[in-house]
Amino acid sequence: MIKFNNISKTYSKQTVLDVESLEIQPGQAFGLVGNNGAGKTTLFSTLLDLIKPSTGEVLNNDINVRTSEDWKSFTSAFLDESFLIGYLMPEEYFYFVGELRNFSKKQVDDFLTDFEDLFNNEILGGKKYIRDLSKGNQKKVGIVAALIGDPKVIVLDEPFANLDPTTQIRLKKIIKNLSKKEDVTVLVSSHDLQDVTEVSDRIVLLEKGLIIKDIKKTTKTLKDLESYFTKE
Amino acid sequence: MFQLVKLQYKSFFRSASMGGSLFAKIFAWLGIIYFTLMAIAIGFIHGTGISVLNPDADNKIEFPFEWINENLIYAFAYWIVLRYILQKIPIVNIRQLLLTPMKKSKVIRFAVNRTNFSTFNLMSIFYLVPFSLTVYSMGDLDSNKLIFWNISIIAIVYITNYLNIVLNKRDSLVLIIAGVLILFRALEYWDFLDFTVYSKIIFTSFYNQPVLVLIPIGLLAYTYYSVIRFFRFGLYIDTGLQVQVAEASQDDFKFLNRFGEMAKFLRNDFRLIKRSKRARNTALMGIGFVLYGLIFLWAQDIYGDTMLIFGYLFSTGGFMFTFCGLVPSWDSQHYSFMMCQNIKYIDYLKSKWYLGCLGIGIATLLASPIYAYFGLFHFVAIICCGVYNLGLNSYLTLWAGAFTKSKVDLDSMKNAMGDSKAFNSKTLLLTIPQMVVPVVVYLVVSKFFTPMIGCFAIGILGAVGVFFRKPVFKLIIQTYKTEKYSTLSAYKETN
Repeated sequence: MIKFNNISKTYSKQTVLDVESLEIQPGQAFGLVGNNGAGKTTLFSTLLDLIKPSTGEVLNNDINVRTSEDWKSFTSAFLDESFLIGYLMPEEYFYFVGELRNFSKKQVDDFLTDFEDLFNNEILGGKKYIRDLSKGNQKKVGIVAALIGDPKVIVLDEPFANLDPTTQIRLKKIIKNLSKKEDVTVLVSSHDLQDVTEVSDRIVLLEKGLIIKDIKKTTKTLKDLESYFTKE
Repeated sequence: MFQLVKLQYKSFFRSASMGGSLFAKIFAWLGIIYFTLMAIAIGFIHGTGISVLNPDADNKIEFPFEWINENLIYAFAYWIVLRYILQKIPIVNIRQLLLTPMKKSKVIRFAVNRTNFSTFNLMSIFYLVPFSLTVYSMGDLDSNKLIFWNISIIAIVYITNYLNIVLNKRDSLVLIIAGVLILFRALEYWDFLDFTVYSKIIFTSFYNQPVLVLIPIGLLAYTYYSVIRFFRFGLYIDTGLQVQVAEASQDDFKFLNRFGEMAKFLRNDFRLIKRSKRARNTALMGIGFVLYGLIFLWAQDIYGDTMLIFGYLFSTGGFMFTFCGLVPSWDSQHYSFMMCQNIKYIDYLKSKWYLGCLGIGIATLLASPIYAYFGLFHFVAIICCGVYNLGLNSYLTLWAGAFTKSKVDLDSMKNAMGDSKAFNSKTLLLTIPQMVVPVVVYLVVSKFFTPMIGCFAIGILGAVGVFFRKPVFKLIIQTYKTEKYSTLSAYKETN
């Protein structure tokens, strides 16, 4: 279980995140929506201990992320390009992540066969370093690497942005399959309401750092969200 | 033009690491003032014909003006090579500006004109003017002719300045210049051919025939406009700013497997050195430092043994200082990834430490036969300095790394105008405490005992340091942890 207790982040008087309490159960597919600057990336960054919250603490399976490094063994993430090592080839990068998560080369190879569709022959066996791939392909590499090694908590920030329609559809399928697993918690953020509602079973709406809505997905969810964002 | 100056000003004062940057700037300025004064002083001294390195009365050069004309050709060749290694190409981050309603030529001219004020240009003027004043006051040279001679020489200095901007992308050309330089020096040394006889005629003619000033001036104008044109037509997102992609191949570096847990990190560092131009240059420069001790060996009469220790510390630790001095900046582009992965700080830092130790080991191995040639003392000194670097300086370098928050752009070779220079004044600055302590220890111990025992004292200090690895690493890790967040945000900055 992931617990945010009284988390806030203030940059010189401006509060960008203020979450009193948020609990995410294991196995949940958690969607985060909100406009630019709503605090989505900030919230994820506090979970990954990439920024220091002004107040409060984050517990990832009872581990305080700031005081212990043990959460790193079962958590993985892809937030942006800074999660890629540009001078490696995609294969080398996957093997490196595999090594960090105790996956042998063979296991990584087997794992990657599931993603042949997604890669569309543009990533594996090519003669390119990650830095020379297109932005979309770089993103695919980052997301797939985040899934290596059976992580129990997967954090993806804006995974659908900048991907072509075919890839978006395939990626949604992958995320849905993942969240079917009992013990895997998937956290996804997006601007796109439809994408998020499609892959998650619980949706939290952030605005200016505050939680405005926290809803279980029903057939009406998408309409609800849309009406929220269209209101004056 | 003014807007561009403002942009530069903002990018400096608004950077996250402004504090450290300002500190380094102040030191850089102190250094510049020091070198300026030195240039002026040497200019005056050379003008009188007294040798700076060996100020004996019998060594006095009778005709300093002839002497300088003889040696100018070498000075220019050294200058080009030195510029290539050290001079940054101060080009503003140009990609964004291409889309603004500012004329392209204006952006380029601003960037190129900035180099006019480079230390390298000013320094030569600071040298030439006092030199000329002295030779004029001492001899029977014609003042007007001397002024025209100065203009010609300064014009040539500026030609090398612009050449450097263009050459900056072409390693092979600079290697050729350096090679020719060494060849001519060798030919002259063994009396095969004295090239300076011919070059002297050329440079002297700038004095004898003031009209010839038109040649360097003309060439200067030509190189200036070539540089402008070079950028003018090289500046399209798809041509100038992007270099063709080399075919990638997988490297496993299997021999690294013997390092166990560390192997996975070391493998990436080796790949980095192989594939990133900037990392490669830095590593090569570190290895080049092996020969650095020779300078102090040859100048032993002037500087004494104490400076020899300084040189040997660099000879054995060059790679460690230059390359590991940029830990963790080498990982700046993917630092948040490293911070989220299943990586313990201790493993990460230890792997970097191993790399540094490997560098020290190789440098010591390379250096010991070279310096052993000069006697047992030098051999012992090299080994002891190596041990000192291993046992103490390696920790200091890693520790200092926690505060070095400059982002390293590994892909900068993609950018025609990127800063691909493998030189960071800040990291060199941090090596001062690492140098002063052993030199002082040597100075004190060798004063009371023998120079050999002085070396041993340094070696023993280093050997003791090796045993303190665990507690020292704990401290270093603590520093990295507290600095983590500000490091992450500094790396997020572009440019």
